[in-house]
Amino acid sequence: MVKQIHDRNPLKLIGIAVKSILFMLMILTWAFPVLWVILTSFKTRTDIFTVPPKIFFNPTVEHYIEAFIRTSDIAFGTSNSIVIATVTTLLTLLVAVPAGYAFSRVTFKFRSQLSFFALISQMAPPIGMIIPYFFILSRTQMLDSYSGLIAIHMTLTVPFSIWLMITYFQDLPVSLEESAAIDGASPFTTFFRVVLPTVWGGVGVTAIFAFIESWNEFLYAVVLTGSRTKTVPVAIFSFLTTEESLWGPFTATGVTIMAPVILVALFAQRQMIKGMTLGATKG
Amino acid sequence: MPAIATPPKVKYQKQWERFGYAMISPSMIFLVLVTTVPLVSLLVMSCFRIDLTYPPGNGWIGLENYLEMFKDARFWYSIRLTVIYTAITVALQVVVGLGLAMAFFRGFRGQGLMRVSVLLPMILAPVVVGLAWRTLILTPEYGILDYIAILLGFGSKPWLVDPTWALISVIIIHTWQWTPFAFLVFLASLNAMPQEPLEAALLDTRTSWQRFRYIILPMLRPAIVIVLIFRTMIALRAFAAIFSATGGGPGTATEILNLYSYRVSFNSLDLGYGAALGTVLLLITVGVSMIFFRMRRASIS
Repeated sequence: MVKQIHDRNPLKLIGIAVKSILFMLMILTWAFPVLWVILTSFKTRTDIFTVPPKIFFNPTVEHYIEAFIRTSDIAFGTSNSIVIATVTTLLTLLVAVPAGYAFSRVTFKFRSQLSFFALISQMAPPIGMIIPYFFILSRTQMLDSYSGLIAIHMTLTVPFSIWLMITYFQDLPVSLEESAAIDGASPFTTFFRVVLPTVWGGVGVTAIFAFIESWNEFLYAVVLTGSRTKTVPVAIFSFLTTEESLWGPFTATGVTIMAPVILVALFAQRQMIKGMTLGATKG
Repeated sequence: MPAIATPPKVKYQKQWERFGYAMISPSMIFLVLVTTVPLVSLLVMSCFRIDLTYPPGNGWIGLENYLEMFKDARFWYSIRLTVIYTAITVALQVVVGLGLAMAFFRGFRGQGLMRVSVLLPMILAPVVVGLAWRTLILTPEYGILDYIAILLGFGSKPWLVDPTWALISVIIIHTWQWTPFAFLVFLASLNAMPQEPLEAALLDTRTSWQRFRYIILPMLRPAIVIVLIFRTMIALRAFAAIFSATGGGPGTATEILNLYSYRVSFNSLDLGYGAALGTVLLLITVGVSMIFFRMRRASIS
């Protein structure tokens, strides 16, 4: 890069300029729609429908008040979503972290077949699976229940969590277990006392992805929940019906849904991108 | 079968083996009960008539749902849309992602900002994304993209009302949402490459196109195959963003197989036929992934 500074070749400078513009365009393309939702949620109704669109305006929180206080759906939906996504995440970690460890570090019969089963079980298309889920849950009186939706969200989160954890465990040096074995530690002690404390970062990333998956999920939620357990991605539709189009409360709710995910992304972007591309680059 | 590295041999093999089974059984039992069992029920249900709007007459009908499907023009149309939607979105993601990765892989400022902005579309709720595009971005005159189109002299477009434009719009939305994945994977594999052939390639006198075509592209082939696999699988599951942007409409203009199956099952409440449509999607997914596993093996060796 140092070379480029001394290089006063005009063609190169143009190249750098073009690149910078492209770079800004790229960031704008992806960040702007998100920013625009956030900005719109703080605009008055008249400011929302102004041409040309206003970038600077007097902010208002009326839409948040409208969404959360005047309609009961959104606050209720948000609390349902928090419960469902949190429990889904905890249960997912409970079963997926141990499985990830065993698959990456222990030899047993059918090990590779079983790990392959975990991998392909996530390929079952949700649009097909939703039909037996709907049928089974309605027969067992479990439609519109937390436990039904949590179990089904776990079918989405458990497979990828196992595979993500496998990659994190495989990165650890074997000497960890070897020295524990010299001390005569049992497998369980080795796992809990020696190995687990070194992969908290990986567990955290896995938890983030599991939470986001459940928090954002729509197809299962719209079919399997009702008035008691409706999640917020389902509830948000109430502002955009054929009769009315309430952009204000809609964007306020949209920001509510996006806020936790944006916050996590600001702090853990590096780790999340690594986790996302890990399976792809290591193969 | 994807290879996972063979674990190191340890002392007390038997004790560890029992430990291994104890560690995997909760998740394996869960997956069998909540994935495999319903999957089998799906296949069984597809051979039943389960019309909730008219229960008398429901029962085993063998392959009749599939025969009906064969004659169902709306089904064939949805298959055609699924192929178009998947092929175009995946191709666009690879091409745009590769182009951007090539432009930016050698250090540049603003990496943190770049990372956050490309990460967001992938992790935000598809419902919010779809609804935001439907309202804030594509609404004639008031939507920001339509406004830009007017400013640039293209004029206002019937983004979601005209059948062709609606299909283009949902393709744009999906591509917007997922190109960052291709970009990040290509960026990571370019950065992970042995730098010498890359440096040599940059110094030699060939044109940049030849350099790209004969040196960089072959090195990227495994990454491209991986992106194809991941993105096709996700495109075949596309639902929430289309559902919230167009609902499959106008008419059936954006009704890919997933949307059609949803409408049959939960608007017309014909669960048997919906299950048959779901089974077809399952077969497509399995078929495509088998082809991909072959490609992947070929790209590595």
